[in-house]
Amino acid sequence: MSEGYATEETFTTADADAYDRWLDTTIAVGILGFVLAMAAVGQVVTLTASGDALNGVFLTLSAVVTGAVGLTAGLAALNVVAVESRRVRGVGLGLLAATLLLTAVVYATGVQLVTLFGLVLLVDSVSLVGAGIASWTGSVDTQPNASAGILTGSVFALVGFGIGAAVGGAFLDGPLYLVAGLLGAALFGVGTIVPREDIGSTLPTAAVTAVFAAVILTGAIGPDWQWLPEGLSGGFSGVIVVPLFVLFGSLFTSWSAAKCRARFGARGRQYGAFLVIYLNAVMMVAVMVSIVFFVVSRGVTYAFHGVQIGALSLLVLLAPLLVLAINRARNPSGTSEWHSAARQSFRIAPVAAIGSLAVVLVGLIVTGETLDYAFEYTVLGDGREEVPIDTVAAITPETAVGAWVLAFPTLILAVYFFRNASSLRGVGTRSPTLERVQQAVPLVGTGLALATIAYVLVGTGFPVLVTVGTGLVVAGAAAAAGATLFALSALTSGPEGLLDNAQYVPVGLAGGVTLLAVTAFLEPTVTVSPGVGPIDIVPAVALLGVLVGAVVAVAAAVARNRGGDDRVFVSQALLGLSAVCGFLTILGLHAAFTGAPVDLGVATVANVGSFDWPFVMQSYVPLGIEPGGIYPAVIGTVWLVVGASTFAIPLGVGAAVFLTEYIEQGSFTAVVETATNALWSTPSVVFGLFGAALLIPRLGDQRSLLAGMLVLGFMLLPLVLITSREAIKSVPDEYRDASAALGVSRWETIRSVVLPAAMPGVITGVILGVGRIAGETAPLILVLGSTLNTPNAADVLGNFQLLSSAPFVFNGAVMESTAALPTGIWATIAAGVSGSQSRGWGTALVLLLVVLMLYSIGIVSRTYFRRKLNYE
Amino acid sequence: MSETITETETATESTTDSAQTTSGESQERLREEWTHYRFDGPPKLSVEDLNVWYGDDHALKDVSMDIPEKSVTALIGPSGCGKSTFLRCLNRMNDRINIANIEGSVELDGSEIYDPNTNLVELRKRVGMVFQAPNPFPKSIRDNISYGPRKHGDIETGLLARLLGRDDKDEEQEIVERSLKQAALWEEVSDRLDDNALGLSGGQQQRLCIARCLAVDPEVILMDEPASALDPIATSKIEDLIEELAEDYTVVVVTHNMQQAARISDQTAVFLTGGELVEYDDTDKIFENPESQRVEDYITGKFG
Ligand SMILES: Nc1ncnc2c1ncn2[C@@H]1O[C@H](COP(=O)(O)OP(=O)(O)O)[C@@H](O)[C@H]1O
Ligand SMILES: [Mg+2]
Repeated sequence: MSEGYATEETFTTADADAYDRWLDTTIAVGILGFVLAMAAVGQVVTLTASGDALNGVFLTLSAVVTGAVGLTAGLAALNVVAVESRRVRGVGLGLLAATLLLTAVVYATGVQLVTLFGLVLLVDSVSLVGAGIASWTGSVDTQPNASAGILTGSVFALVGFGIGAAVGGAFLDGPLYLVAGLLGAALFGVGTIVPREDIGSTLPTAAVTAVFAAVILTGAIGPDWQWLPEGLSGGFSGVIVVPLFVLFGSLFTSWSAAKCRARFGARGRQYGAFLVIYLNAVMMVAVMVSIVFFVVSRGVTYAFHGVQIGALSLLVLLAPLLVLAINRARNPSGTSEWHSAARQSFRIAPVAAIGSLAVVLVGLIVTGETLDYAFEYTVLGDGREEVPIDTVAAITPETAVGAWVLAFPTLILAVYFFRNASSLRGVGTRSPTLERVQQAVPLVGTGLALATIAYVLVGTGFPVLVTVGTGLVVAGAAAAAGATLFALSALTSGPEGLLDNAQYVPVGLAGGVTLLAVTAFLEPTVTVSPGVGPIDIVPAVALLGVLVGAVVAVAAAVARNRGGDDRVFVSQALLGLSAVCGFLTILGLHAAFTGAPVDLGVATVANVGSFDWPFVMQSYVPLGIEPGGIYPAVIGTVWLVVGASTFAIPLGVGAAVFLTEYIEQGSFTAVVETATNALWSTPSVVFGLFGAALLIPRLGDQRSLLAGMLVLGFMLLPLVLITSREAIKSVPDEYRDASAALGVSRWETIRSVVLPAAMPGVITGVILGVGRIAGETAPLILVLGSTLNTPNAADVLGNFQLLSSAPFVFNGAVMESTAALPTGIWATIAAGVSGSQSRGWGTALVLLLVVLMLYSIGIVSRTYFRRKLNYE
Repeated sequence: MSETITETETATESTTDSAQTTSGESQERLREEWTHYRFDGPPKLSVEDLNVWYGDDHALKDVSMDIPEKSVTALIGPSGCGKSTFLRCLNRMNDRINIANIEGSVELDGSEIYDPNTNLVELRKRVGMVFQAPNPFPKSIRDNISYGPRKHGDIETGLLARLLGRDDKDEEQEIVERSLKQAALWEEVSDRLDDNALGLSGGQQQRLCIARCLAVDPEVILMDEPASALDPIATSKIEDLIEELAEDYTVVVVTHNMQQAARISDQTAVFLTGGELVEYDDTDKIFENPESQRVEDYITGKFG
């Protein structure tokens, strides 16, 4: 709770101190009631729970609160985090006290949750009356206004009307309840406005809360209470109404108590308003969390049935996290004061956690044990009966690593290390050999790349082409090995060599990685993978490179520890690591391209193997016991998003640039702006109808992936346009002036100054828009179809055809209907087409994961651009 | 981009605005006399009867002045009198303002810059500009400096250039080092060239902007109140720098600080409200013994 809202002063009298603690606790009880009521609304706990069930809930709650307050208090005592505010401390301690007290009550008396709710409200009410009177009689020093104000008065009048009308309705006939309501309104309104603020903003609250408490405690409205309005098939029950009473009662009391706590007046209003806003924010987060919680809890068993991953693959995936954690741990730890030790341990904690996980995984590999978790999920059987199925999720001791599982993380790491290494230009001496290698590498690389292109175009129709290709691959691999060994030659004269021949390392390693990468691409186009005996040549060179990189990295690290030119050695060590990762990437690519596993003795890099996620990786199986997966839908959604983005993002950003930079603001831009805004608020089903009526007849007259991409693209376009325009507009004109004064043309300025500066804003728009279209259902039902039983995923990449006449390129896959995640959910849950409910929840979970993945890609790239702009 | 260029040999009489001056024609003739600064050698910049309108607002009236090479020319005057407008005419930055309407002639080394055939890129390379508020790009220090040369194709860097074997990293480093040294910034930033320029202090940022302008090898440097957003220490550094630069470049600097003009400039032009150039002469002459009563009032603080 920020101090910006209300400054504090220290009160010296014992009275004032007791009053403060009292109100802090009242606020805490209000917050607690609010949270518990939310839990009851979300049916996390039932109103009638008592005894063991309720004990368990309160035990958990106590643990959570004790943990949170305890950790914060401990950290504050250790001076790691500063908690100076007396109010925050008060409320924190109040929370702790109230939770423990309630837990004790629950254990001792075995009350039902409803009764407890009633008691809590009653306590709130009494405590507010006490505080109001204490202020009114002058027992504590407060600064109340003359009145609580018209606004507060009107709110309470409204509440009073509700209470009056409800009570009147229960005892009187006909429209007389209106009179009772008006009486209630008058009573509460006057009661709030006429007396001084300390009475006017406590007693009415206390009264409302007391009414709620009375209704609940007397059982007038209990869990069994039902109200069945005519014309509705269902009704409202106490299960919902009671928690709502508690929710409102708690909100009112916290607000009132906050006013009292800040001694009324302007400050009191501020603190009160602040608390209400805070609780609302909590509610928003709670709604968000419960959506995710619902989806996860219902879908997780189905979505993760039979998941398996090899321990070694998991280790490889951990590597980037480990590097991230190490980087975090490397930050300087400040002074040597004792509490900095505490800070340091927090910094080291992630490394330690990953380290222990890694050891567990290595242990699995060594012992050959499997770490598994067995659970059960249900599917619908033939007779639409629920059939439970047992399954396990497991980490197996397999030592096979998937080709892509290896290639992706290592590629990221290679780029990361390379970017962090500083340039070694101008360090050391330049030998003729160095010059020669520097000239040869681009030449050979370009030659190999040209050969690759040639083979893609021509193919390997003649046997002689294969022979030539084999020769090229061997030559490329040999050249890569040569360049790599050249880097190693810097070491031949010891650590001094690393300084004298500093540039051997970047030139040799980068050359080796580049040449071998090009060769790895050439291999599959020539359809050969030459080798000597059982040893393939490209992976052999890659392994050599891994070794050389490691040796260089270790040598540079050792040289650095002995002292010397820090920058050079650090840079060389990073380049060594980068080369290790780069060569590993090539190893993965080789396995993926050639389809042949690479056996490394202790481990294999295989094309298929160590990772299996049936729900996502298998195709649809209609109504069987063995449930199959949603692979076609996942691929369908990915292609939809990719297609819509590739069409909408360049168009949107381009239009934004044109409208902002090239056209004068005037009536034309105003019209375009209005049109975009209107397009953005157009309901998605209208987009769908538009697609169905206009696009489909012109695109082969059938629902298709292409139509889906286009319609989603049209939906994405306005948001990208609007946000990009705002981002471009907010780039300061000073940059444009500076660039123009250097004689740089407008387009060049936009490209190199304006767009990079606008990039974070543009990406924000793209993130929001992609999140929206990924889950869009209505238009897809109309233009893509809601096929569930597509056994095959859309093979877009494999279906490109070159034609000799217009339109020259054709792709059969995008012209066909396919499955997508949101339509899949709609079909399973709403229309009951197939499978079981949990299949739908599982699909929803996967959809959430896909959106989350898109989000994180967006957020990472935005952070990257922000970093580039700000000085970090 | 709208601009109106007319040969205005005859415009002098027609635009005489006698309502403005107290004693009519003689005053006007005197003004022409006072602004006719005589020096040896050909002028670097020669301005003839320059008029600028922003819409209907006549911001600059019949300004004529010759600016000598490799010296510091200060432009002073109360705010809103058209100093910045005048400066922006010298590298045609006013072309970027849609409502600006420019008439008259500006010659750089004897060739007309408002000629339709003038190459704007070439002109702005030759006549660089430094703005009032430091405005480095949100890029690294190195990229800020190499931006101009790169865009003009003087140096090529980057992945493509490297692959094509046309990488000019060494040339880039040379330009960066030379420009920063000229701008007296090298010592302070040589070990963090790849840090973001926005992390520098205001004074350093302004010197970086000067270095950025020097990187494209200009002949003339226009500065619009380059030190007005800076603290006294940074200001004095910029002032020293301007005096140094005048050995190799023609510097035209706008300032509203008269002490500053007196300290750093060789000749001073005084503009007064209404967009007229009232007096232009050696700095010493202007500050010790100005011809015009209005200029004397302005300098002694009685006016504007
Ligand atoms: N971009 C512009 N649009 C319209 N009027 C302008 C613009 N720039 C300057 N002016 C006007 O021209 C006059 C001279 O301005 P300026 O050259 O900035 O004066 P100075 O730099 O001496 O303070 C002022 O009256 C100002 O309002
Ligand atoms: Mg100005």
